[in-house]
Parts: sequence; structure tokens; C-alpha cells
Amino acid sequence: MATTIQTTQTASREERRAGRRRPRRGPATLIGDVILGIAVLLIFAPFAYTVVTSLRPASDLVKDPLGWPTNLTITNITDAYSKMNYAQGLFSSTIVLAGALIFTIVLGSLAAYPLARISRSWATWVYRLFIAGSTVPIFVLLAPLYLLLRDAGLLNSYAGVILTYTAMNLPVAIFFYTSFFRQIPIELEEAAAIDGSGPIRTFFVVLFPLLRPVTATLATFLTLSVWNDLLVPLVFLQDPSLKTVMVNAYSLVGSYTLDPSLLFPAALLGVAPLLIVFAFLQRHVVSGLTMGAVKS
Amino acid sequence: MIHRKPLIAVAFMAPALAMYLVLILYPLVQGLVLSATDSKIGNAGNFVGAKNYVALGSDSDVMRALGITLAYAAVVVVVQNVVGLVLARALYMRPRIRQLGSTLILVPTLMSAVMAAFVWNSLLAPDGAINSLLRSLGLSTLTHVWLGDPSTALWAIALVNIWMFSGYSAAIFLAGYMNLPAELIDASSVDGAAGWRRFVSVEWPLLAPATTVAVTLSLLGSLKVFELPFVMTNGGPAGSTTTLTMLIFAKIFGGQGSFAYGATIAFLLLVLVLLFGGITQSFLRRREERI
Repeated sequence: MATTIQTTQTASREERRAGRRRPRRGPATLIGDVILGIAVLLIFAPFAYTVVTSLRPASDLVKDPLGWPTNLTITNITDAYSKMNYAQGLFSSTIVLAGALIFTIVLGSLAAYPLARISRSWATWVYRLFIAGSTVPIFVLLAPLYLLLRDAGLLNSYAGVILTYTAMNLPVAIFFYTSFFRQIPIELEEAAAIDGSGPIRTFFVVLFPLLRPVTATLATFLTLSVWNDLLVPLVFLQDPSLKTVMVNAYSLVGSYTLDPSLLFPAALLGVAPLLIVFAFLQRHVVSGLTMGAVKS
Repeated sequence: MIHRKPLIAVAFMAPALAMYLVLILYPLVQGLVLSATDSKIGNAGNFVGAKNYVALGSDSDVMRALGITLAYAAVVVVVQNVVGLVLARALYMRPRIRQLGSTLILVPTLMSAVMAAFVWNSLLAPDGAINSLLRSLGLSTLTHVWLGDPSTALWAIALVNIWMFSGYSAAIFLAGYMNLPAELIDASSVDGAAGWRRFVSVEWPLLAPATTVAVTLSLLGSLKVFELPFVMTNGGPAGSTTTLTMLIFAKIFGGQGSFAYGATIAFLLLVLVLLFGGITQSFLRRREERI
């Protein structure tokens, strides 16, 4: 493992040096740069347009939807804030997200530890069972899960939604934690055991802190999928006081369909918390999204 | 030293396993049982055997949704991955733009489908930005009621899907590119392989692991697409954007409350996901091994 890391590092260093050394940049490369720049900006443009439009007065929008912003206002945003019950939605979304994160990370890493260390066939089968769970689309479970949560009195409760997200995401968590545990040398646990540390203590004090990179990556992935999800809270949290940001935003569609001076700031408020969090976690965002893309 | 203490090992796994058994495995079995009944609004209903499954074949709504879902997935998988790959290569070749560029193209991926739907519903509206842009470019003949016309609505939604996730595909391919052995790239340029030639014979084969992930994710994602058509068109106009997931949702939570039939269509979706996911995976994995 150590050698692999070293080779990739040298390789990327060499490659970076080669990139800097590239001597002549002819007109062809310049054209390439420009085309790529335009393509990137085109992909980013709808988002920029959303931000700009959110800040323009409704009267300007009617006159010229694509025009250059001359007057800026935050009325649209404050308006959307109250019409989509943003404060309440933010509260619900945060509780659901925090619960799902804690449960998935703790239960997933706990289960992955013995699964990575025990090579008996029963452990392999338990592992396979977990991984198979990731292929089941939520739609297959929708009707029976609704009935189960109803009978358990967990419809319209944060607990029901948190449990659903945790179960749905455990396969991913176990997959990544298991492969990471296999890279941690077993000598570390033996040393801890000699020092008189039991398995539980070893797990929480010695091993769990080592999992930080995977945990950050997994947390990024979970945050994206849980925060942005509409289906689960739409079906299982119908009580108006429990609705999440996405469900509240969705409710706007029926009543005010195409009004950009409401929907654009609503869209912006919906992603704002994610963008703020990800600004701090930037390097984990890409790794969170490309988890498993590259064999290592 | 957990491997020497099986009881403690089981205790570590127990909470996750319990949650998995109760909230995934049990509902999965319950769903299968449900699909063999005529249950409405979740009431027990009578056992009807394979009747619901037989009914799928002669249900024109289901067959139509199946066709829509497959066509949508085919277009999204091909276009999204081609665009992603082109973007990734362009970014890889241009270290100066790489960092900023790869961040900017990921912004749509961070947006939820609900938010993307808001923005694009407005952009695609009859008087929206896209049509205004076409008019101001003197292309009035190309203006269109994109989401109101059954012949364009599904492809407009596919476009939004492609817009959202091309940057994601690009990030996966770029991660593959960054992992290419530099010596090999250097050697191939010494041998005079550049441009298209180098892409076909050196880069593309070496990108096999990234291709497996990018293609599989886009395939499974597009087969299960729900929120975009749900928010953008609610399955219309004239059912032209009613995918399998939309139909499942409508059967269960629509007026009829056909829990049993909804669960049956859901198993059709599961078969589709397992079948196409399995075929693609085994094909792409075998390709990885050949290299």
C-alpha cells in the first residue's frame, strides 16, 4: 500500500512539472482554452442567472427577463423566505440530516469493523447481504415501508425519516468503511490490546479517529443526497410543521407556478446551506462525489 | 482483536443488521407479498397470485412508461457520459483552468432536482429565457413550448438531467485521468501519439475503471429518475413524461391508492435495474480486466 501511494505521488509531481514545462502555447491551445472556458461558463450560467434574477425587482423581470441587472433588491429573497416557511424547513431538514448522518456513520463504521477483520464465510455473507441492499431502489420499498411506518406510529415523525435514510445508506457506508478498515494495520489493535484496551475502547479511541477521511467523504455524499431528497419527506413527513426545505419549496410550484421572482430565490435558499457548508469542505466535495471512481 | 471475539463482533454488527433487516429486507418481502394481493390504500386485500404481474404486460400505461424510461435512460447515459468525458479530457489537458473549471461544473450537481426544475421550468417557459434568446438571435422559428409539447417535454427533462450531472460524470472521468501513469502518457507522446490517436489507444483503455463507475451511476440514476419529471411536468403533457417511478408514485399515492399494483410495477423497476445494472457491470468489469 505504502509503495502505491508513493508512486502515485511521484507520478503526479512529475506530471505537474511537465505541465509547467510545456514551452510553446500556440494559437490552437489558446482556442482550446477559450472553447473550454465557454463550455464551463455555459454549464455554470443557469446558476449565475438564478442568483442575478433572484436579486432583480419583479417589474424589471417582466420587462426584460434576460436583461442586465440595473436595480438590485432583496425583497424577492425575503418574500420567498416567508412564503416557503424557510425557517421551519431549515429546522426540519437540519434535524433529519443530522440524525441520518450520525446514525449512518456510527452504525456503518461499527458494523464494518468486524466485517473487515473476520474472514470467515458467515462474515462474507453478511457483508454481501449489506452490499446487495444498495441495488434496491426506494420505489420498491415505498408501499411496504409506508405501511410499516404507519403501523409503528412513525409516519409524520423525524424518527421514521431518519431511520429510512439510515437503512438506505448503510450499504454505501459499510462498503467504504470496510475497504478502509482493511488498510489499517492489525498491529495497531494488537498494540492497543497489549495496553489493556478492550475492543470497544480500541474502536472509539484508536480506530474511529483514523477513519476521518472516509467519514468526511461519506458525510459529504450523505449531506447531498439527504438534503436534496424530495421523495422520502414528501411521503413520510406530511404534517406542515415537519416539512423539509425541499418539500416546502415543492409546495410553491402548485400555487405560483412559473413566477421567477419567487421560484429563483426559493431555489437559491434551497442550495444556500449546502454551498456554505461545502465552501468549508471543498476538497471533500469532489472525493465525496467520485467515491469509488478510481481503484486504489 | 475483534476477530478473536465473535460475540463482540456480532454486537458491533447488530444495530446495523437489525435496521437493515427491519427497514430493507422485511419491506422487500412485504412488497412481494403485497404485489400478490389486490390491496387498496394499504388494506390487507385478497391473495390474487401472479395476476398483477400478468396484468403488467397488457397495461398500456405500464408499457408506455417502460418505453419512456428506457428511451430516457439511453439518451441520458450516452450524452451525459460523452459530454463528461470531453470536459474531463479538456480539463486534464489544461492545468491552468482545471481547478476552477472542475469546481464550476460541479455546481449544478449540488443543486437538488427540485431547485434545478424551478430554474429550468422558467428558462424553458414560452416567454422564458431560452425562447427570448432564440428570438433575439433572429431564430424565432426555433422557439417552442418545450415542456408543453408531448414530443419535446421528455427530451427537455433529459437535457436538464444532462446539464445537472455532466459535471459529475466529468469529475469521475477526471479522477480517472489524474490517476493515469504519467510515464505512459510521456512514453506515448515520445512515440508520437497525440490527440485523437493517443485518446483512442492509450487514454480510453486506461480510463476503464472510471468508465464503469460513470456509466453505471448514470444508468441507475436515469432508470430511477423521479424528481425532475415530478416537479417539471408532473408526468404530462398527455403522459409523455410518465416514467416508471412516476407511475409507481401515482398508483400508490394518487387517488386510487393501488398499493398492490404500485408495488408490482416497482418490482418491474427492480428487475430492470438488476438486469441492466448487471449486464453493464459485467461487461465493463470484463473490459477492465482485459486491460
